[in-house]
Amino acid sequence: MNNEADIKWDGKTYPYIPSDPLKVDPSIRFHDAVEEELDPITFEVIRYAMWNLNVEQGNTLVRISGSPIAAFGHDFNPCLMDEQGDFVFFGPFLQYLSSVASSAIKWTLENRSENPGIRDGDIFLTNDPWIGAIHQADVCLFAPLFWEGELFCWFANSLHQWDLGGTTPGAFNPMSKDVFWEAGCIPPLKIVEQGVMRKDLEDEYIRRSRMPDLVALDLRAQTTACNVARERMQELIGKYGPVKIKSVMKKLQDNSEVAFLEKLATIPDGQWCEESWIELSREGDRNAYRNVVRLTKKDNRLIFDNEGTAPQVGGINCTAIGWKGAVASMICAQMLFDQMFVIEGAYRHMDFNPTPGTLTNAMYPAGVISAPPTVTIQTIGLAGLAISRMLYTSSDPALREEVQSCMGALNYPIDAISGIDQHGSPYASFLADPVGGALGALSWRDGVNTGGWPWDLQSTMPNVEDNEIFYPLIYLWRKEIPNSGGVGKYRGGNSAEIAYVLNDTESLEHHTCSGHTIIPGNGLYGGDPTSRTRFMMVKGANVRENFATNAVMPGDLSDLGGEHINIAPKASEVLQESGDVWSLAWTAASGYGDPLERAPEMVIQDIEESYITSDWARARCGVCIDDEGELDINKTTTLREQMRQQRLSDATGLQGARVSVPETADEVPVSEGLVVCTSPEGSCYVCRKCRTRIQAAEENFKTGCLKKETPVEEVGLSPIDPELFIDDKIVYKEYICPGCGLILQGDFGKSENEDIWDIRLFLDQ
Amino acid sequence: MKYFCGIDTGGTFTDCTIIDESGNIIIAKRPSTPDDYSVGLFNALEACAEKIGIDTSSLMQNAEHLFLGTTVGTNALIQMKGAKTGMLTTRGHRDNLFIMKSAGRSVGLPIEKLLHVSRHQKPNPIIPKKLVLEVSERVDWKGDVYLPLNEAEAEQAIHQLVEQGVESIAICLLWSIVNPQHELALKKMVGEIAPGMFVSCSHELISKRGEYERAVGTAINCFIGPTMKQYVERIEQNSAEFGYKKPVLVLQANGGVVPTSEVVSKPLYTISSGPAAGVTGSGYLCNSLGYKNAIIADMGGTSFEAGIICDREPLSASETIINQYVFSMPRLDVESIGSGGGSILWVEDFSGTLKVGPQSAGADPGPACYGKGLLPTITDANLALGILNPDNFLGGKMILDKSKSIEALQSLAEKMDMEVEALAAGAVQIAETKMAELIRQMTLQRGLDPREFVIIAYGGAGPTHACQYARELGIRRIVIPMGTISSTWSAFGTLCADVLHVYEKSDLLSQPFDLEHINGMFSELEVEGLRQLEEDGFEKGDIEFQRYFEIKYKMQIHQLAVPVPNGRLDESDLEQVLVRHEEIYESFYGRGSAYRDAGVEIGLFKINAIGKMAKPKVPSYADVSQKPLSGHRDIYWRELGGKEKTPIYSGQKLSVDYAVKGPAVIEYPETTVVLHPGSSGSTDGAGNFIIELEGL
Repeated sequence: MNNEADIKWDGKTYPYIPSDPLKVDPSIRFHDAVEEELDPITFEVIRYAMWNLNVEQGNTLVRISGSPIAAFGHDFNPCLMDEQGDFVFFGPFLQYLSSVASSAIKWTLENRSENPGIRDGDIFLTNDPWIGAIHQADVCLFAPLFWEGELFCWFANSLHQWDLGGTTPGAFNPMSKDVFWEAGCIPPLKIVEQGVMRKDLEDEYIRRSRMPDLVALDLRAQTTACNVARERMQELIGKYGPVKIKSVMKKLQDNSEVAFLEKLATIPDGQWCEESWIELSREGDRNAYRNVVRLTKKDNRLIFDNEGTAPQVGGINCTAIGWKGAVASMICAQMLFDQMFVIEGAYRHMDFNPTPGTLTNAMYPAGVISAPPTVTIQTIGLAGLAISRMLYTSSDPALREEVQSCMGALNYPIDAISGIDQHGSPYASFLADPVGGALGALSWRDGVNTGGWPWDLQSTMPNVEDNEIFYPLIYLWRKEIPNSGGVGKYRGGNSAEIAYVLNDTESLEHHTCSGHTIIPGNGLYGGDPTSRTRFMMVKGANVRENFATNAVMPGDLSDLGGEHINIAPKASEVLQESGDVWSLAWTAASGYGDPLERAPEMVIQDIEESYITSDWARARCGVCIDDEGELDINKTTTLREQMRQQRLSDATGLQGARVSVPETADEVPVSEGLVVCTSPEGSCYVCRKCRTRIQAAEENFKTGCLKKETPVEEVGLSPIDPELFIDDKIVYKEYICPGCGLILQGDFGKSENEDIWDIRLFLDQ
Repeated sequence: MKYFCGIDTGGTFTDCTIIDESGNIIIAKRPSTPDDYSVGLFNALEACAEKIGIDTSSLMQNAEHLFLGTTVGTNALIQMKGAKTGMLTTRGHRDNLFIMKSAGRSVGLPIEKLLHVSRHQKPNPIIPKKLVLEVSERVDWKGDVYLPLNEAEAEQAIHQLVEQGVESIAICLLWSIVNPQHELALKKMVGEIAPGMFVSCSHELISKRGEYERAVGTAINCFIGPTMKQYVERIEQNSAEFGYKKPVLVLQANGGVVPTSEVVSKPLYTISSGPAAGVTGSGYLCNSLGYKNAIIADMGGTSFEAGIICDREPLSASETIINQYVFSMPRLDVESIGSGGGSILWVEDFSGTLKVGPQSAGADPGPACYGKGLLPTITDANLALGILNPDNFLGGKMILDKSKSIEALQSLAEKMDMEVEALAAGAVQIAETKMAELIRQMTLQRGLDPREFVIIAYGGAGPTHACQYARELGIRRIVIPMGTISSTWSAFGTLCADVLHVYEKSDLLSQPFDLEHINGMFSELEVEGLRQLEEDGFEKGDIEFQRYFEIKYKMQIHQLAVPVPNGRLDESDLEQVLVRHEEIYESFYGRGSAYRDAGVEIGLFKINAIGKMAKPKVPSYADVSQKPLSGHRDIYWRELGGKEKTPIYSGQKLSVDYAVKGPAVIEYPETTVVLHPGSSGSTDGAGNFIIELEGL
């Protein structure tokens, strides 16, 4: 690592950080005139029209592109920015792209305003993750609009491309060691010059692709989308005048700032943290890597850092630009839903300080092409948990309703497939089924089974029939997985599993890219963890031949004969041949609160709806049913008590006298199971269920808990032998109230690692 | 005397419009009767008969046609009061209906709700999971049987459903659209095991690829089927008893009507048919007035709905979203936003911004002026501005309390530091902007220029706001159809429909196209259409076919409908179709966006088989020579920045071509037309009130 003084935040080795103020060629004149007094009716009318013009940009893009990636994966987002490239509106599609456009535009203002210049009608293109992209497959196009010679605003959209070259087909590379194994980076270039597409640059751009025609179609989709937004904005300016429009832009940003500050004011100063593990940096690697998101709230600022995150490695790294977008997407979902996701106002009070050279602030030339399905998405989940812990301490009950356990998509299990399709054409793509993730449990109700992602509001799985007409496959099943959602006081949503055989083709090649095949994601406040991703090849399952004898279609992996092979989360060139079954299950969401606190009636409902099985209900929730399937409340009460006693006797830690703390009016709830009570003797954590004093408030509460460690392979649904893929020894650590046996938190980690300090109030202030 | 009878059964009211052979119009409105909707229907017919001066039997004996529009099925679905339904599906795919492509948690939500993820939730299932049973079978995308149907297993599943007491069974198997043999086998087995059971196969309802949308459609069809069957059979029976000799024809969402025999097996097609009636009526009106392009705008208490007629044809959509469920079915495209008279006004505290909706006060408690609720609505704003006459609401049947409106608006005005009228005018402007935006999106996103359209505005509140959203869009002319009946326009609309059967067939064809195959497909569909229309009683001369392909570029998802010439197609016809596809594509997506090099694919064959119906005579307006000016009111006009003494006219007393200049208000019994400054209007020979906007 270089000395601080040697670091240049110019988007070359280190990620781009804009100068303040921007250093722009003096030939560019900015339009920044606003009205002091904007009447509220005009504001609302223009606001609505601007929101629509941005959505229209997105709709145009998805319709013209028409690619399954855009239509189902929603791997795109349009945005409207002011003259300096600050956000006005960001569309309701994939939220983690939100950091990209602003960065790309500011870089272009600082580096391209003199040469080749920025003019009306120009459209720029970049896919450089150190400047303005999440990874190279997400290509960002952005266009300035000038009004009477002044730079008025920008339109931008990012869209994931089928293939932009590199050593493996499609957009991910499980073998990548560094960026040179991957599709090339393109710093911003002017692809459209004053309204005319540069043919030379278009050829240069699509030449690199294995699917140039489709990339050309997507390029048209993106430029047309910019033009549609530009035309609509010109009409609006023509109608209301530039000053009114600009006033609305600035007021939107200011309003979101005010709303954000009001929310922050309900939250005490403190620090909250979350971490998780990603297995394998590339094919052949056998390590697990730690990813940390830490959030500090101090006065009216939120500071995010990644203290404790592993150094950059292999092809899974995320640049600081992608990391910022990942964090911001959960700020939007949990704190800016009433502000139409206008993130700019909140950005004014957020700092992002990830350490360079790490998994989440990678330095060039680290491999980054596989970041989105791994580290980037995992970071979103971690940010959501850290923000949830913070929001729990808010004095505003409405904000506490935004607290949620970890949503299912801690990774996007890439099942990239390539070969010759049933129509005789070559193809390379990845299946979009896992967009049907699972929404996490909330602090007041269960999560949503196969409910998608919180950071894409409209994620849509393709129909099985869509996939079977695009690719040479026959799906044996696509089904929700009972017991996959973490149980808790509130249950995380269940996820799903697919399995398919080949049809009209001899073979197919798989590349995988994901995490969480061994190590699940954490639950919240004692809720059970997420389930795992599982890639499974069943060689010689011979479904058709077996059907001829028993006439029953298999509906589960356990129905299949043949050799069952777990496939690593980074694997390349895995061959599926006729007779083989390929199956993919993705992670479900984790639970919220101790499962023994779940209302028994809700568990009975879960069983009726096939969300969980009766065995699982008994093992995890201590709920017993009689022969008619009705709740046996006496047995349930007894079993739950036994389970709590068992926890107390199995756990290690301080045994002995317990102090009980009476309830006070000014105590601060900090989690489902804990409050902080303050007395003349000092402040301390107290169990909300039994009022037992846990630990002094200045310490990590976990050091005052009973603790139980369980090897990872003994925890959760469908565990596999960790030694298949990793050498690290990972355990599940449960932190238990020594008074009543309530589980206060469960975390995965190495035995030798310190307990995660996930709740820390700055009480001295 | 012959009568054309059109009836629209809504959730609250049943409207009846009758046109006799001389063109006289008789209308009546009666409360709907949810316990047995047919009772309300005959009440409304009886009321019309009384107005004519005859009894119901004489009316029915002389009825040329009885057309029926109905929301009975839609209501059963929204209230989740349907039959106990079971489903049979392909093994491994039971959860299709519950996974809802994941999008079920948010699809169709207005933006404010869409952005609030912690509130996303899937709707209650139409069929409980334990009543969806799997059978072993599999067909592939080509229609080849990959695994044959296990009949013993299927028989067991059917018995199991019957034992559980289901009243209907939906059958939805993968790829039944290209090979229905397994679905048909299951249907036959259900018929044998449980004779009389209501049963539907997915391929008979929906021909498009997409097992989720097909499963939803089939589930809904079975869920509402028994109720709808009972309802239309009662009407058929009772009308026959009154002496009606012809088939009762029921309106579908595609704007056409079909005999009850078809509605009994495919009630799904009536879902969302309510708005279609208004579009169909408007289409008829456009033809008689000579308009090629029109925007159809209906506004009631809770929503604003818009449809489009382009080049004399109403535009269609292929998907319906209801209750966060999506199913595919050809229908007239009518989009809706929650902007109605009942939309609630509120102020966002920290930003001091005025908002309108999407929450609605509905009919109960209704706007503050109804005297039950306290929240101000658009209706309250109109009342406060002086636009609405408190004594002329619903034809004077309900007296509005203006002081309650002002009281409700006052608290918002204080928060905003504005005068009550300025606040009310601002709220109305915001609502009108939203209406304009909806129309803008529907037109511009299809490459249509709204300025080339007229607006046809109806519904209780439609004519009140039309001037302003038309002006926003640069539209010069507004038609308020037949002033007096604009609030029962949907019942009139059913009278204008033709019999329409839509046949679709999914088939993925790549270039070079097989002409033999294409000609064979169309002729197969047309044989089926001809057989059906002949069975419906049509002569060859009254039968018409319209053909379409749905075309897409290779590896694209979205298909565009492209018209195809009738008759035997040759290479040059096909080339013409492909050229037309590019034109349509570029008009949608912009010049230069078409890209034939990516490869063109045909995904769907479609025909509309139309049986032309005799149309009622365009009603003529009984010209009057009464004094139309009924007085003056102080009305606040935002473009004038204050109140002005404004003339009020009685619409029914306007003689033909009597010119009214804005600002003015024209009151009809059920609706209020507002002429803003810079507009003028007059009544034409058919009783339509035509508004012209100046200065555009």
